[in-house]
Amino acid sequence: MDSASFQFVLFGLAAALISNVSRSRVWRSIVLMFASIAFLGLLAHNPIVFLPLAGFLGLGYAGIVLLERGWSRSFAASLLVVLFVYIWLKRYTFLPEGIFLRLPYFTLGLSYIFFRVLHLLIETKDNHEKQHIGLGAYLLYTLNFTTLVSGPIQRYDEFARDQFAREPIPLGPRVIGLQLERIVRGFFKVNVLAMLFNMVREDAIAQLFQPLPLSFKLYAAFKVTVVYPCFLYSNFSGYIDIVIALARLMRVRLPENFDRPFSAASVLDFWNRWHITLSNWLKTYVYNPLLLTLMRRISSLKLQAFLGVFCFFVTFFLVGVWHGRTSEFVFFGVLTGGGMSINKLWQMGLTSAMGRKRYRALANNFVYVAFGRGLNYSWFGFTLFWFWAGWKQIDRVFAALSLADWLGVWATTWLVATLILALWEWLRATLLSIKTAEGPVFTSRYALVVYASALCLVALVFTVLLNQPAPEIVYKAF
Amino acid sequence: MTQPDTSATGNVKEAKLPRRDWILLPLIGLLTICLLAGSVELIAMWMFPQLGTAGEDCMVYDPSTGSRGIPNSVCWEKIPEGELTEYRFNSCGHRAGMECGPKPSGTYRIVMIGTSFTLGMRVPREKTFAALLPLELSRRTGLKVELYNEAMPEESPDILAHRFSEVLKAEPDMVLWALNQGDIGSSKKGMNPPPISDSKSRLLVRAWHRVKAAYAQDSFMDFIRYIFRHTRTATLLSHFLYSSNSQFVKASLMSDDYQSEPSADRKKLLKEFDNDAASIEAQAINAGVPLVAVLLPNHAQAAMISMQELPAGVDPYWADEDVRSIITSHGGIYIDMFPDIRAIPNLQLGYFPVEGHPNALGHAIFTEALAQELTNGSVPALKVVAQPQAALEQSR
Repeated sequence: MDSASFQFVLFGLAAALISNVSRSRVWRSIVLMFASIAFLGLLAHNPIVFLPLAGFLGLGYAGIVLLERGWSRSFAASLLVVLFVYIWLKRYTFLPEGIFLRLPYFTLGLSYIFFRVLHLLIETKDNHEKQHIGLGAYLLYTLNFTTLVSGPIQRYDEFARDQFAREPIPLGPRVIGLQLERIVRGFFKVNVLAMLFNMVREDAIAQLFQPLPLSFKLYAAFKVTVVYPCFLYSNFSGYIDIVIALARLMRVRLPENFDRPFSAASVLDFWNRWHITLSNWLKTYVYNPLLLTLMRRISSLKLQAFLGVFCFFVTFFLVGVWHGRTSEFVFFGVLTGGGMSINKLWQMGLTSAMGRKRYRALANNFVYVAFGRGLNYSWFGFTLFWFWAGWKQIDRVFAALSLADWLGVWATTWLVATLILALWEWLRATLLSIKTAEGPVFTSRYALVVYASALCLVALVFTVLLNQPAPEIVYKAF
Repeated sequence: MTQPDTSATGNVKEAKLPRRDWILLPLIGLLTICLLAGSVELIAMWMFPQLGTAGEDCMVYDPSTGSRGIPNSVCWEKIPEGELTEYRFNSCGHRAGMECGPKPSGTYRIVMIGTSFTLGMRVPREKTFAALLPLELSRRTGLKVELYNEAMPEESPDILAHRFSEVLKAEPDMVLWALNQGDIGSSKKGMNPPPISDSKSRLLVRAWHRVKAAYAQDSFMDFIRYIFRHTRTATLLSHFLYSSNSQFVKASLMSDDYQSEPSADRKKLLKEFDNDAASIEAQAINAGVPLVAVLLPNHAQAAMISMQELPAGVDPYWADEDVRSIITSHGGIYIDMFPDIRAIPNLQLGYFPVEGHPNALGHAIFTEALAQELTNGSVPALKVVAQPQAALEQSR
């Protein structure tokens, strides 16, 4: 069963339907557990392949139990063991090949389970109220089928608040309608939009290597650069739309993972809007503690100003490294962390040169914001080369054009992204300004029905009638 | 763009939906679907016009002999992606562009056999390689080369083996067997009759055939897919999708036709093809006529050749190698046009994206590659003696 397939949606809807037979938290938990086990069973048929994952979960739970029993000194050891086992199971290439397990085993969703387990370990250590986490609750939280494959990374307290509430959150016709519309929207993004974007990108890559005139190659390079961020957004956010809606139908609210990321006018703002739960997790458990520790140790006021820059680099370097096991992702991390740090330095430099008030005025200037959006988009597109390609392919892609040609392509990408995103923001604002007493016309339930019916028809035609293969969820691999 | 679900942020009891909305909202949804489907179909019909007649109307189908052209018949067709095409069959039922009969003296006659690719389905005859190749060969060799096309759609190798004596009656100096990968797997049992063979009351007959065929599908989903496939919307969307090489390759790879590791079914089909080829080649050798075989790349192979990288375990060339080995093992000549076409950028543009047959560009590419391979010494009678480059350029 593919992660955002028709079958997955039907599976999720069936689980939601059964879950709503009773409002009892026990019933809802039993249904979620069975659905999660069934989901795992559909992904892999041989139970042996789950043993390493079970071992990983067992280690995590053992660490939590030790901390709950007051063994606070076991924290560092538990953390290190969980971290090492994660790296070992994920077969990071810097470890010697000989130490890896030879049998095939299941690692889908391991990265997200890793974040949840670490979160529980840290929170259990810091939690003074010592709230006990039972094994059932632990497994429900870590193996929840709606968040297993690609997140979003939900906090345990948020999960427990909804899942184990005596009185579950309301689920009336309006909410059901909104969730169904969101499922349709997500399904359309993954199976139609992402497929179309991927199609354009793959054709463009092939054209780069063909003996074609320079103008064709320049256009192909432009498409390669521009299209991948759109593809990734449709692919990932579409899947997230589906799982958030399915979870809501099971009366659990998952955190949002995207907030119109390409509206961001800076790299700093972008990571507040893209893969929000990952950024927040790392800000909570890496950025904040690291900054506090450094500030305690470094007393120089001059240097303190740059500590945030350094911490941003470390945090977002880890964001990059988390995505994969190879050196390409290390470089992706360097670019992501580097982008954040340079953006922070730019802000600090301008503030000091212009003064806080004038800088704020500049940051709100329409033209500055538009060019900032374009620059952020093209920078993200550039960093993603190390996300979708290996060194060999990157080498071939870059060798297809001269350095001057590539610089021209980046400049064009920046300009075109600036214009198109500005136009999109204007159009969106204009459409949302058309209002009735109930709110904007284009977000009314009538408009949403029109929108969802059209998307549903198109998505079904592409997936069921034309049987077109859509690309897999990219974040499933991480 | 993702919008937060504002109604779901708290445990607030949501407002009741007005009663009229329980009827109004589904109606709006239904109306949207009908309007969208209807308008797209109208646009598709305007963009991809089609004639009510088809080339197949001039053919009859018999399970034992396959398709046959109706002698002295003329039909017209315009498929959604193609141009207006005439099918004119001579008194022997061949789309040969000439009458059947004895070979004129001083002429080198090639009799060509094969299936729909070779017949030049969906393309006007003057643009097919059957029409262009003799001109190119005559130009290159200085001989008076004539090509008599006896190809028929879905003429499987076993049927061809049975009627090969008819082919030899045309007094060929050479028999050119132009196959495509699909022909290897075709046999009498696996053949599909042409969709319609009745030229009278076409519309009703067509509709009736379509309804019958739809009900004959294996499942409800197949039934729906069959109905949808015959809408112009399907043509429009498929044309758009398959204009993308990568998407077409992905869709092609959903079957195991291009896996390098042969399946049991493929091995069986190759064995059957081997038997039929042996019979055909033995008859040609007995008649003292050289038999030259060539595998024409199909749309999927062309698309894969154009891709720079293919998934592991995929081999678009396996049929080329297997057919070569079978043909040469029985004493025939095999010419390989794949090396000639590999360097051509966007080779897939030589095919109708949805319909799949080669278009005029594809036939022109075939002509060039076939002329190159036939005159490079593989066929001694057509060998071009090396000329100085300047003289060659001048002759062009």
